[in-house]
Amino acid sequence: MLDADVEVDRREFTVTAAVHVAPGERLALFGPSGAGKTTILEAIAGLVRPARGRVELSGRVLTSTEPPKIHVPPWQRRVGLLRQNPALFPHLSVRDNLRYAWHPARSGRSPAELPQVAAALGISGLLPAMPAGLSGGQAHRVALGRLLLARCDALLLDEPYTGLDASLRRSLTELVAGLVQERSVSAVLVAHELMEAQAFASRLAILDRGSVLQIGAPDEVVLGPASRRVAELVGYQGFVPPPGQVEDGTIVGIHPERVVAGGQRGRGVVLTGIVSACRPAGAGWEADLAIGAATITCRLPERPPVPGGEMVVTAVDPPWFGPSGTAVTPPGAASAAGGPAGQDQVAR
Amino acid sequence: MAAVFGALVIWLALLGPVIALLTHLSGSAVVSALTGPGDLDPLVTSLASGAVALAVLLVFCTPLAWMLARGTLPFPRVWEAGVLCSLLLPPLVVGLLLIFFVGPYTPLGQLLNATPWHLSATNTFLALVIAEVYESAPYYVVGAQAAFADVDQRVEEQAAMLGDRPLRVFRRVTLPLAAPSLGVALSVAWARAMGAFGAVIIIAYHPYGLPLQIWLTQQETGLPSALPYALVLLVVALPLPLAAFTWSAHARRRRRG
Repeated sequence: MLDADVEVDRREFTVTAAVHVAPGERLALFGPSGAGKTTILEAIAGLVRPARGRVELSGRVLTSTEPPKIHVPPWQRRVGLLRQNPALFPHLSVRDNLRYAWHPARSGRSPAELPQVAAALGISGLLPAMPAGLSGGQAHRVALGRLLLARCDALLLDEPYTGLDASLRRSLTELVAGLVQERSVSAVLVAHELMEAQAFASRLAILDRGSVLQIGAPDEVVLGPASRRVAELVGYQGFVPPPGQVEDGTIVGIHPERVVAGGQRGRGVVLTGIVSACRPAGAGWEADLAIGAATITCRLPERPPVPGGEMVVTAVDPPWFGPSGTAVTPPGAASAAGGPAGQDQVAR
Repeated sequence: MAAVFGALVIWLALLGPVIALLTHLSGSAVVSALTGPGDLDPLVTSLASGAVALAVLLVFCTPLAWMLARGTLPFPRVWEAGVLCSLLLPPLVVGLLLIFFVGPYTPLGQLLNATPWHLSATNTFLALVIAEVYESAPYYVVGAQAAFADVDQRVEEQAAMLGDRPLRVFRRVTLPLAAPSLGVALSVAWARAMGAFGAVIIIAYHPYGLPLQIWLTQQETGLPSALPYALVLLVVALPLPLAAFTWSAHARRRRRG
């Protein structure tokens, strides 16, 4: 169990976060760059000292700013950290990199563990190679194997696969997720791409300017953002007043991928707008629709009308936000879903 | 084309003196110059004092270079200026100033004399070592600082996260990674120490090392009789640098896989 409740002062704002990650659980911290995601990892790793707070891992207190003050140095924390740079030791072969913190004789572990981990990661054939000769994906597999063999109680992944191509990133993310579950390690991933966070995480935390805005299961957070800001961060691109309502400042959030053509009143909010732009996107089209003063973007499988034409679309089950920007229950759905459900924490 | 020609000219010009040395030496002259009683004393003196100077550099200058590279010292610019200052001072001036710093009538000189061994930092083996340290230290510090600065701090951070205390990180990661460049820096310092003359002639006239022997022989019996000592100096000063450069290149190749 990883328990971290820390406040770290930074120049522009204070990073405040409380994260609790059970063994085998995978938490993703998602937010724009500069939101303080890495700072949280570094506080857990002991690389920065929090101004206030406490970090506990598997029953050991690693940091405490209350008396008795405790700051366990990074090398005694048994926390694995993987960054974008895999930081392999360039003077050691892949085998010696894997062996760096693996002492089977001293800790009573099986000497077969290294070949097993290498096989699970698909790097058995690379053991005699030097790091400089590896591709980016291979280097990351070796770095991961090195962490697994070091037997860390927690695994911190700081945007590790930035710069690798999408399919490789996906397969590595799934590989880590599987291994973390299998070995019951608490894992925290920092991501600035939502898809990567979703592929990895069993829970998703949204961070902005140093604060956790929402934590929950990934689909709950994405489909039911707790505030307009969370909605913006997870990809809702248009906010329009729902038609047929008194204009009281209530708006609905429109996600480009949750819009279908045509009016389907039973599925969500029906909107009528003027097509202002239209461009091919992947196998379909992306259209900008002007609705009153607002503009929404939607992705559609069929070609929309030419710009200037009128179009009716349905935003499927959109989140509603009150004048203050926090989520509100859509009228008529009060008893059914009960708004965004299952949130551990809602701020702002 | 012109660039290659220019490079060739300057290369030949730089190597010219070595070629001249080899063409003006006869085997018999070398043998007769080095076989008399005591003829090898300057060689032994130079090797011994150079080895001690090198040990002093390793022990005292390596931590300084590491701290300069990591920026852990307060006022790093001041420290760097100090190193640069000793690099830029003419050796002759260094020798002159050393007399006023560690000479027999200075507080430091008297302190040395007060030790049980009645040490003196003028015209002794100790003086020779001191002069060689002054002439070679800045070369080592500057080179070693660059060697440590080249070591990726993210790799060191990873070693710490894998459970190594800072000293262990230094031994297992920093030092092996910096070693090839450290070796080059050390060998440059060795060549400087072997050839130290400016400061040596002022504070360590005795015992003679090879540079002083060359100068004295040349003064007393003329240029040609100094040549065998020049050859000997080259032979002892060069192997370490050459070995360091070869090893450094080899280590880099090995890392490239």
